[in-house]
Amino acid sequence: MSVPLTLLGLLEREPSHGYDLKRDYDAFFGRGKPLPFGQVYSTLSRLARDGKVVISDVAPGSGPDRKRYIITDVGATEVEQWLTQPVEPEPHLQTVLFAKVVLALMLDRPAGEYLDTQRSAHLRRMRELTEVKRAGSLVDALLADHGLYHLEADLRWIEMTGARLDALRKEVRP
Amino acid sequence: MIRFGLRLAVAGGREALTRLIVIAAAVAIGSGLLLTTLAGVNAVNAQLTRYASMYPQASAGNADPLWWSTRFDYFHGKQIIRIDVAATGPDAPTPIGIPRTPGAGEYYASPALRDLLAAHPADQLGDRYPGRDLGTVGPAALTSPDTLLVIAGGAPDQVAKLPAAKQVASVGDTPALPETTVNLILGVIAGGLLFPVLIFIGTATRLSAARREQRFAAMRLAGATPRQISTVAAVEATAAAVAGTAVGFGLFYAFRDPLADIPFTGMPFFPSDMSLGLLDVLLVALGVPAGAAVAAQVSLHRVRISPLGVTRRVTPRAPRPYRLIPALLGVAVLVFAIGFKPETSDGQAAVFLPGLLLIMAGLVLAGPWLTMVGARVLARYANRPATLIAARRLADNPKAGFRAISGIMLALFVTSVAVGVITTIIANRGPAPVGSTEAGQVSLYLPEDAPAAPDTLFTGLRSISGVRSATAVRENPDRMNASEPGLIACTEIPRAYGRCAEGAAVAEVATGLIPFRESASSARVWPAASVPLGDLQQLPVMSIVVDTDGSAAAIERSRTVLEAAFPTFWVGPNVPGDFESDFADTLRGWEQLANVVIIASLALGGCSLAVSVIGGLTERRRPFSLLRLSGAPVRVLRRVVALESAVPMLAVAAVAIGMGLLAAHLFLRAQMHYTLVAPEPRFYVIVVVGLATCLGVIASTMPLLERITGPETARSE
Amino acid sequence: MGPSGSGKSTLLHCLAGILVPDSGEILFDGARVDAMAETERSSLRRDRFGFVFQFGQLVPELTAVENVALPLLLSGVRRTRALSKAGAWFERLGLDGLEQRRSGELSGGQAQRVALARGLVAEPQVLFADEPTGALDSLTGEQVMDLLVSAAREQGTTVILVTHEPRIAAYADREVMVRDGRVNAPDRIAS
Ligand SMILES: Nc1ncnc2c1ncn2[C@@H]1O[C@H](COP(=O)(O)OP(=O)(O)OP(=O)(O)O)[C@@H](O)[C@H]1O
Ligand SMILES: [Mg+2]
Repeated sequence: MSVPLTLLGLLEREPSHGYDLKRDYDAFFGRGKPLPFGQVYSTLSRLARDGKVVISDVAPGSGPDRKRYIITDVGATEVEQWLTQPVEPEPHLQTVLFAKVVLALMLDRPAGEYLDTQRSAHLRRMRELTEVKRAGSLVDALLADHGLYHLEADLRWIEMTGARLDALRKEVRP
Repeated sequence: MIRFGLRLAVAGGREALTRLIVIAAAVAIGSGLLLTTLAGVNAVNAQLTRYASMYPQASAGNADPLWWSTRFDYFHGKQIIRIDVAATGPDAPTPIGIPRTPGAGEYYASPALRDLLAAHPADQLGDRYPGRDLGTVGPAALTSPDTLLVIAGGAPDQVAKLPAAKQVASVGDTPALPETTVNLILGVIAGGLLFPVLIFIGTATRLSAARREQRFAAMRLAGATPRQISTVAAVEATAAAVAGTAVGFGLFYAFRDPLADIPFTGMPFFPSDMSLGLLDVLLVALGVPAGAAVAAQVSLHRVRISPLGVTRRVTPRAPRPYRLIPALLGVAVLVFAIGFKPETSDGQAAVFLPGLLLIMAGLVLAGPWLTMVGARVLARYANRPATLIAARRLADNPKAGFRAISGIMLALFVTSVAVGVITTIIANRGPAPVGSTEAGQVSLYLPEDAPAAPDTLFTGLRSISGVRSATAVRENPDRMNASEPGLIACTEIPRAYGRCAEGAAVAEVATGLIPFRESASSARVWPAASVPLGDLQQLPVMSIVVDTDGSAAAIERSRTVLEAAFPTFWVGPNVPGDFESDFADTLRGWEQLANVVIIASLALGGCSLAVSVIGGLTERRRPFSLLRLSGAPVRVLRRVVALESAVPMLAVAAVAIGMGLLAAHLFLRAQMHYTLVAPEPRFYVIVVVGLATCLGVIASTMPLLERITGPETARSE
Repeated sequence: MGPSGSGKSTLLHCLAGILVPDSGEILFDGARVDAMAETERSSLRRDRFGFVFQFGQLVPELTAVENVALPLLLSGVRRTRALSKAGAWFERLGLDGLEQRRSGELSGGQAQRVALARGLVAEPQVLFADEPTGALDSLTGEQVMDLLVSAAREQGTTVILVTHEPRIAAYADREVMVRDGRVNAPDRIAS
């Protein structure tokens, strides 16, 4: 999660104080990992330095929250680019799962059993997420879905690998 | 594309082949029946033509004329046709069926009559034809192998004096019955039998249409053009129909002889009369395959529009009530005919035929609407799921539901008109019941110029064993005031026929000692006549009444004696009922035909229904089998099938019979002032047997129902 | 769960008393389902079980609401009562206004929800569902599952569901894997 770009995006809605930005960030993207105030302000000042935001008016008094930030054209362009460009597809071949299966086969351990355990764990997690989804708000549900689809992808991979364990064993233990 | 279609049809796997064979088999049965019907019409026509040529019109020509007189005689209640001929010169035409015109004292007899002559003593039959037996009358002159016909020769001046004698210059070219009559017969047969056959063939070619539609839709999705699909479908249907028609011809010729033996018209046909004209052959050989191709086109209509045509089911437009109009109009025409009766028989046909045809067409047109209304009512009040499903299906597509039974409807309508009319006529003019006085009475109505009846004739008659009395009835000169045309001395009235009024010596009596349309009664009192007893002997004898014990031998002996005494009789001495039963026999022949039509059309209707039931099942096999999986007893599904097919059929049968009897009643009122007599129980038995056959055919689909909705279906799809 | 052809449907049909297994026992309420006569199993299926299949289970002649009322009608409930009971399900499943539609006029998801209502309307003790979401897109599939789970919980109906989609399986309280006609967890399955 790119904090600077997310904050820029939030600013694109309307000029905001740093406090509002943190609150919104936590509500939508925090998910049990709130953004420290320090990071908010350091990020904002870095953005101001790079000319992506400006400070509009400073209210009287002291403290950091007197400043209201406004996104600049440069900042808006950057948000635009980020949103429109796809994320670099990453090859996930070297995941822990894969490493474990290959290692298990290399060491002549029961890879199938490991996969079964992993499937149960995945399904258990999916069940939890489904329950979250059913009980919670739409935002919760969408986030849960994100997790669910990833887990499902893993599960499919587990199924396929399970079905081809014999072939894989031959490959890794010549 | 045609080659491709053929390959698909023949080599398209087991399912395609099975379907092909089933369709071909159905078409074979259908076209076999079609050929039988056409040949039957030809045979009836041949019969009627030969019948008509027994009554030639007087004609003049260059040749020497032939004297000709056709008369009726009876033996054991059967009619003998006696034709007396006399050639007036060497150029006179020779009657058809015999090598030369018999001279005086010579005769030819039909094979059936020869059998009778050989089997019975001469004093009962043979003595009626004194002289030389020249041989056999050939089939060309006979209406049926059973026809009793004698062609007797005579001197020209004798034959000329016979009743209705006429001179004919040529023989055999008499036109058959009047056009309208033949058309009426054709109409009855066509409406009653052809229609169900055609419906059956049509339904057969649509067999498993749903499955085929799916396949064609898939081909459409794969890029086949509508034209290509049409071609493939037409080729497939035509291939099956061609094969079926060929087998149908084989079936027809294989079963022609036994079929000819069935007395459809009251007498059997000559197998050679059950023949097909070139036109008939072409009609069936080309028409059935062409019809099958057209039917295939029509049934593909949905697929050709769009590849999705089959998956998306649209409810067809509901029929409108205006479909009732023609039927009501038809009834109105018949009702109108009660008040207005045209003079000529052609005029009558001109009123009744359109009326009947309107009702027939109207019934077929109104059927879907009635089906829909009935089904909607049923659906509204249905509590059972089976009733609900069946009623909904019928209400959704009443045309499809009605199509299979429209043949039954027409057949039952036509036959109940016929049976209603026939029963009523027979009931009003039927033969005497066996065992009554009438059954033993032989009476002869003497022709005008008959020789006087000698006393020896009466003593001779009385000496025949089994004869109780022989009485002469003399002509009543007082024609204006008399209540009866005959006179008799009171002492001569046989006990069985009643007695004189008190104090009278001479009584006025009916010709046969039985008043018109009544039966003999010993309690009857005949009114006194004004003629004195002494003058009676001078009056000419009008009729001779012989009362026998009813035994065939006594009757036939008396008849033979009477005929010998009065050779110029017109209608042979007859037992009451001989004459009527002859007329009734003809009518019974038609009734027989009606019965054949009923059973055949119902059995055919059953087959059509079975085909459409199977179609309906295949369409819904998945929901039905899943219903069964969920625990719905197969009984529920059986009930759905029964309700969808049997109930409309029974309802339609009731409506058709009701309408038929109504039409018959209107016809009888207008034509004869008779009131409809309910048909004999036999009619109902035959209808019930026919309906049972039909239900049996439907029931035969039940095992299929169980099989195609079994758990395997749901699991394998 | 299990791969295609592994015997999921076969197992489900055995449990529901549609098929009789060659070996093994099936107990329901203490009674041997596999030892019952076909008529007994039929009435068990009709009165105590409900079913939802992948597709094509609605009778095309009947309207949606009549299809839902069908199990009630089959067990002899009067028509008006059955229809009003069936009608109550339409609002619950978000099918308002579709009561009078025929199956051909419903989308796949709508038809499947109608089928679900039909499976549940008789308040069965066990609902057997064979890939009920197989023909639906994920969103519709999940809507159907949501409705299924909440309705079943509310009614106290046990749901036995066959699927090969993990996300659908995740709605269940426990899963059973079938592979090559064998059940992975060797303990008893149905109650
Ligand atoms: N335990 C078993 N013993 C013998 N045969 C079995 C067994 N289980 C399944 N089969 C056979 O395997 C075939 C496939 O089974 P089934 O239809 O149940 O698979 P499925 O898991 O439902 O597959 P799909 O996901 O494609 O629907 C069937 O023909 C069935 O008879
Ligand atoms: Mg399956």
